[in-house]
Amino acid sequence: MNRSPDLFDAIVMAEERYHGEAYQEGYAEGSSLGLTEGRRYGVSQGANVGSEIGCYQGFAFTWKCLLSECTTEKDSKKRRMLDSLLGMMQKFPYADPTYAQLHEDLDRIRGKFKQVCSLLSVQPNFRVGPGGSALSF
Amino acid sequence: MSWLRAACARPGQDGDVFDDEADETLPAQREWKNRVERRVREGYRDGVDAGKAAVLQQGFNQGYKEGAEVVVSYGQLRGTLSALLSWCGHQDSGSPWIEPLSDLLDAVGQCEQSTLQRLTAVTPQPHVADLLDSIQDMDLCPSAPAREKSEEESLERSGADLNTDCRQEAGSSGGPHSPGHRTQRGTCPAELSFSWIVEQTASIVEQLGLSSDILQNVERPGN
Repeated sequence: MNRSPDLFDAIVMAEERYHGEAYQEGYAEGSSLGLTEGRRYGVSQGANVGSEIGCYQGFAFTWKCLLSECTTEKDSKKRRMLDSLLGMMQKFPYADPTYAQLHEDLDRIRGKFKQVCSLLSVQPNFRVGPGGSALSF
Repeated sequence: MSWLRAACARPGQDGDVFDDEADETLPAQREWKNRVERRVREGYRDGVDAGKAAVLQQGFNQGYKEGAEVVVSYGQLRGTLSALLSWCGHQDSGSPWIEPLSDLLDAVGQCEQSTLQRLTAVTPQPHVADLLDSIQDMDLCPSAPAREKSEEESLERSGADLNTDCRQEAGSSGGPHSPGHRTQRGTCPAELSFSWIVEQTASIVEQLGLSSDILQNVERPGN
């Protein structure tokens, strides 16, 4: 008599057991799929930001070198502006997707870059990475 | 109505739907089987969704860091070339350096694209080709793997072609790669081509009489 409730239970719970086992199997498969899918999307987003920031870095650093021997007041203003842009980028953790102010900082850097370009009378129309950047998921 | 389904499902029998001898447990078994299968499918689907959701952000974060750190070097090189280009233009709008600098800038863009393709193509999971290699080593099916590998090789080939293009476009006499050659696996042609562009840029910087410090800001990819 003691066994009959267990047996009944087993029949009723069988569906749930099958569901649960399949769930576990699906979970393992989904984990591996999700990691790959998320990584792929992350790589392209990270690359967008890295490419853009790298481009500003290279540009600002090179112009700073090019202007290092110029001594006019205007040139030293340009140098100060370039230093300020480089400083902003040095503090910017562009490779950290968990940094909360990634967007805000990136926008400030873009603005500064435009100012620098106008001061240098350079058209900021050269290629700065593929497209804009959407960082959030 | 299950008796009807059971009867229809057994056309091999004499067709007597009122067959008293018919196995009455059969329809019930079938129904049970269907229900279990449905539950299994649901469970699997729910599991896949839950598993995906749990790690998607983690995968994104890993990929983001990797992508940003590798590609930043290409950006630095591109920014450097852009600055040199605009500087040359300011000095003399007919400067003979404008064309080679533009070509190098294009080459960086191409190499950046091929690096990005490689990054998104390579997954941390075991690669089909690797598994097939193991199968081949076991000598189980020696003829099958050749076709399956073509996808990976064509990817490699496009990478090699791109790099060849980079070299040729900038006027190098570098010979073409043998596409998809097995010994190229594991090497990094985009990186070779990156350092080649850096060398070309350095040579232009020197010929312009500028300080070689300019290229100090360009890191090697992946550092």
